[in-house]
Amino acid sequence: MPHIELAAVSKSFKTNKVLDDISLSADAGEIVVIFGPSGTGKTVLLRLIAGVEEPSSGEIRIDNQDMADVAPEHRDVGMAFQNFALFPHLNAFENIASPLRARAQGESQVKDGVARVAKLLKIDHVLGHAPRELSNGQKQRTALARALASSPKLLLLDDPLRNVDAKLRFEMRLELPRLLRQAKSTVLYVTQDYKEAMALADRIAVLAHGKFVQVATPQDIYRKPATLSVARLFGDPTINLAETTIGDDGTIALAGERLAVDPSYEAWAGRKVIFGVRPEAITVRQGNGTGLKAQVMAVTPLNERTVLLLQTAAGAELLASLPSSSTAIPKAESGVEVTFSLNGAHLFDHETGAALTGGSA
Amino acid sequence: MTAAADHMTRPKTSSRFLRRALPYLLSLPALLVCIGILIPFFTAVYYSLMRFRLNLPQLKGFIWFDNYINFLSDAAFWNTVKISLVYAGVTVGVELLLGLGIALLLQKPTRFNNLASILLLLPLMTAPALAALMWKLMTNPNFGILSYFVSLLGFSNFKWASDPSTALLTVTLVDVWVYTPFIMILLLAGLRSLPKAPFEAAALDGVPRSFVFFRITLPMLLPYIITASLFRLLDSIQQFDIIYSMTQGGPGDTLMVFQVQSYLEFFQYTNVGRSAALLIILWAITFLLSNIFIKQWLKLRERAHGGA
Amino acid sequence: MDHTSTFERIVRGILIALVMIFFLFPIFWIVLMSFQTNETILRIPPSMVFEPTLSNYSALITGTLKTTAGNLDIAFMRNLGNSVLLSTASVALALILGVPAAYAFARFRFRLGEDIAFTLLSFRFAPPLLVLLPLTLYFKQLGLTNTYIGLIWVYQLICLPLILWIVRGYFEDISPDIEHAYRIAGNSWWQTFRKIAVPLAMPGIAAAGLLAFIFAWNNFIFALILASADKQPVTVGALAFVTASGIQYGQIAAAIVLSIAPTLALALYAQRYLVEGLSLGAVKG
Repeated sequence: MPHIELAAVSKSFKTNKVLDDISLSADAGEIVVIFGPSGTGKTVLLRLIAGVEEPSSGEIRIDNQDMADVAPEHRDVGMAFQNFALFPHLNAFENIASPLRARAQGESQVKDGVARVAKLLKIDHVLGHAPRELSNGQKQRTALARALASSPKLLLLDDPLRNVDAKLRFEMRLELPRLLRQAKSTVLYVTQDYKEAMALADRIAVLAHGKFVQVATPQDIYRKPATLSVARLFGDPTINLAETTIGDDGTIALAGERLAVDPSYEAWAGRKVIFGVRPEAITVRQGNGTGLKAQVMAVTPLNERTVLLLQTAAGAELLASLPSSSTAIPKAESGVEVTFSLNGAHLFDHETGAALTGGSA
Repeated sequence: MTAAADHMTRPKTSSRFLRRALPYLLSLPALLVCIGILIPFFTAVYYSLMRFRLNLPQLKGFIWFDNYINFLSDAAFWNTVKISLVYAGVTVGVELLLGLGIALLLQKPTRFNNLASILLLLPLMTAPALAALMWKLMTNPNFGILSYFVSLLGFSNFKWASDPSTALLTVTLVDVWVYTPFIMILLLAGLRSLPKAPFEAAALDGVPRSFVFFRITLPMLLPYIITASLFRLLDSIQQFDIIYSMTQGGPGDTLMVFQVQSYLEFFQYTNVGRSAALLIILWAITFLLSNIFIKQWLKLRERAHGGA
Repeated sequence: MDHTSTFERIVRGILIALVMIFFLFPIFWIVLMSFQTNETILRIPPSMVFEPTLSNYSALITGTLKTTAGNLDIAFMRNLGNSVLLSTASVALALILGVPAAYAFARFRFRLGEDIAFTLLSFRFAPPLLVLLPLTLYFKQLGLTNTYIGLIWVYQLICLPLILWIVRGYFEDISPDIEHAYRIAGNSWWQTFRKIAVPLAMPGIAAAGLLAFIFAWNNFIFALILASADKQPVTVGALAFVTASGIQYGQIAAAIVLSIAPTLALALYAQRYLVEGLSLGAVKG
């Protein structure tokens, strides 16, 4: 039996339908990342689960109990907010202690509980400070500590790393999985950062226009995106896209040439599609073979990968990404030959954006 | 650590109805106050359409708009209208100019200026009825300090509030004394909240001060000025405390403003119908004015909230 | 960087001095008068140098005045007591009723709330007599004329809208997420209201309470119409005192000083709250 279940949940504000028929279930101890661009209703979803807002329709069940008549204070949920939402008139200690005090724990139990979680998050030295005296990073950890303090069975984290500087975000991205696994709670984690999603999630639920367009493991999301938007949202640099029509022989028209990518494309002959290929699935070679001819316009090293901006004879631009350690990185202005590996090539329907194929199994 | 979660074995359910009813329960007293205002209001409307004198209850009856129509040909009514408008216009005009001037003088947030503006609050905190008494004592022809000062200037036997020609001046003086600080506070707050950038730019460009004042300061201050003026206008046209305490509307009927006249109609002539009609007319005037004001005030509120 | 010339600074100084004199002189003079005997008061030209006396105050406080015509009973202290009772009780009641209501208006969007707010706002500028005169007749029927309960109820018409107006804004300024966080931590809405909302809105509540107290204390017309001699506050009582005691100018001055002292003292003590309440009550709502 799943720990938490959302069944056909919808939420509208006046005429604005923010969430449309959302269904999701998560097992105990699972980390599910809810991913999507801003304004798509991810925060609203968490608020519905926490109980501070009511769904317009649908059911939310925790441990198989309908939460409709259960007030937020009785749901045993811990939540960390994007803007921290610390109690300004209480110091960090009291902020973290509040879930413990609400559960009527004795003073020594409260002290121990706070100390334990503060140590975990490395803020034990600022417990006496007021929120306005804390740095953003300390505020964020205090907010997390408060969510974790009572070891709730369900953790809701609303983009906790958003308002934190890049360096700290990177550090936390490494620490968080460990912290969350230690907590043994079921976690629903909201973020707009796809790298964060991939790093933390057991499963990712991609929210767009109020609906879940795909719920799958990070690998499946990346390798088999269900829609064009999912493919675009995941991957850096973004996937290369081109509108084309499948020829009768299964070839695609790209940059003025007809390319044979995969014989299985014949099944969609005559169909208008969008062809996508990930930069890392593009092989770049010096020389003159059967591949697409292109010229290297720019070479940009980006940590462990180097990104090449290529331009074909017909003027189309492509981004390719090679491991920086590769010995065969072409120079700018040089002519190269481009082939596509099936693993990173996708076809999407031109109208709906739905995936027709996603690489090889 | 596990003990914490244990007490939540089966979450408590609470009635959704109670949760929905909460806001209504909380605002019940406010609702009662509303009703406490609306019932008398509609009663007054009702009475204004009747011939109703407390000392002649047997003549009570509906006369529809006769009370109002009779006003049109009643010299006393037009006197009331005139006096009320003049009083409101003069007091607010003077208070606005004076208040603006003082706000400009105390603009810079220095310690001295802040102390001054605090002390200037005191007249505003005085009950207007008591302020009128204070000034009554000060203008007493026998021992009043102001009568003495004025006599030094050559005006012996200055009758202040007892003389029809100077009664308006006297009550205006009291009103200005009490209420100018109100306008001063609002305009001072407005002045201090203006963005510095335009003024710095003007200073850099060497723009003359009068230009800065009339073309930059005043326009930016306009919402505050309008708010303050309308606020005061609406209160001033209904002035009761100061005038009643000073002269009960006299000498004669020189200071018979709306509420004073209405009070006398009710308590002296026991004419409930006329009294109510007079008040409804006053209410109509203030209702119109306040609608203009509320629109402007809501705009200002948007700005205050948006900027926060 | 101060570009003002010395001339300008002198002019500015003089103007401010004149302003201060105009606004503070009457208070100063009345205080002076309250320490003067009738003789000193009636002396012309009036002088600043005199022998101060406490007899005016002692007469008011003890309640009897020894005149050449015999002993006169002064009930002024009773008026003072009435003011204290009425103002304190009205504000206390208005806070108890108004703060939760303001919270409801701030946090919940419900039709009744908007209607109430609109009604109270539109009647803010309505003539008081419009409500008071019919109320007089109703009070007579209900037997509430000249009762403390009736008066405290009527004073709610002054205090409650003010508190709703000001406090609502302060509640709205608290980020809802903070309250959500407290609820999710395991607290009921009442605990959240008590431990989070009210403490965070306290400056506004204090400002509103202070202003309401001052407005209640300074009120004249409500008490004039609905209270008789034994329940009248100082605003009405002072007027009656003047007409009754006629020639006792020193005592009148002392009575006025006692009547305005509380509000002036409050204003000086809590002026920051006051200014905030006044300007925000007008601007922020």
